[in-house]
Amino acid sequence: MTLAQVAEELRLEFLVRADPEAEVRGGYVSDLLSDVLAHAEPGELWLTHQRHLNVVAVAKLRKLSGVVFVRDLRPGPEVIQKANEEGVNLLVSAENAFHTAGKLHRLLFP
Amino acid sequence: MRWFRIDLHIHSVLSPCGSLYMSPRRIVEEARKARLDLIAICDHNAGENGQYARKIAGETPVVLMGMEIQTMEEVEILALFEDEEACLSLQKELYALLPPIPCDPELFGDQLVVDENDEIVKRLDKLLLSPVPLPLEEVVRRVREREGLVIPAHVDRVSGGLLGVLGLLPAGDWPAVEISPWLEEMEALTRWPELRGRGILRSSDAHYPEEIGRGWTELYAAAPNFSELVLAVHRRQGRRLRPGPAMKGGS
Repeated sequence: MTLAQVAEELRLEFLVRADPEAEVRGGYVSDLLSDVLAHAEPGELWLTHQRHLNVVAVAKLRKLSGVVFVRDLRPGPEVIQKANEEGVNLLVSAENAFHTAGKLHRLLFP
Repeated sequence: MRWFRIDLHIHSVLSPCGSLYMSPRRIVEEARKARLDLIAICDHNAGENGQYARKIAGETPVVLMGMEIQTMEEVEILALFEDEEACLSLQKELYALLPPIPCDPELFGDQLVVDENDEIVKRLDKLLLSPVPLPLEEVVRRVREREGLVIPAHVDRVSGGLLGVLGLLPAGDWPAVEISPWLEEMEALTRWPELRGRGILRSSDAHYPEEIGRGWTELYAAAPNFSELVLAVHRRQGRRLRPGPAMKGGS
């Protein structure tokens, strides 16, 4: 399923629409970037509360399909700018991590 | 110049997780037993007990003002100061920003300011074990504008360590970092090559009296004081740091 489809189904808002056709192969929920670096798989959609600039680098390194900030958390302008430069999809979910992950799981693995 | 033994990360009874026995007086006594030349009391988002440790210690050991500040990202950094007012004014700013979660002593422990006579001056009501709602870069800016020294604490740790939380060393000026008491220096440099060429410190991160002396750093300098430490952190004028031996059997 493409990121654009996932965003539509889950009502996610794009902050950076770098590659909406990216394939979402799964999900990963973590606020620890060392954990994401070590364990997230390419193509996964990353749900997080963490808004530090390093999120962009980690998402790119792990070739994730995108980053979803949960509970309507929004990163600063420097994060948006960096994601635009690096071509990393950034989205926001109005719902918390539990509900966002639950809906994503149901959508991807019905 | 010669080598001095330093420990810049000691908690007191002002940290909820710090032992009730960690009064400024006891910390100074234990630091003397451990033959430390320079120490800092760095409580969570607070530094008030440092001023009393200074009165007790005189120059043996030299006591720096300090705090262990937890940023919005839940990264912990040591902020060290020569000047008492610089440290206390920053504590005041941070305390005002902390969420209004009360410290329940039954659950978390007491947060006590204790003077040079072991008398309780006051207790801080808001839980200090909360992140301040400021990004890492803003916390660093506020420390440096007060001529403070920033040393990211136990960078390897998944809980609160700069590398554990943020995965990679973020952009910025990081001349020196602290590693956990039990982590071998070589292991740290192998796992995170970006630490090479930076000052590496080890501290006790003591919360109990018997933990003082379990980890230290050696400072090669003319004297054990703040300005010499700053030179060593930047490897200037022959001053330098080397971590003491790793503790055995930590977690």
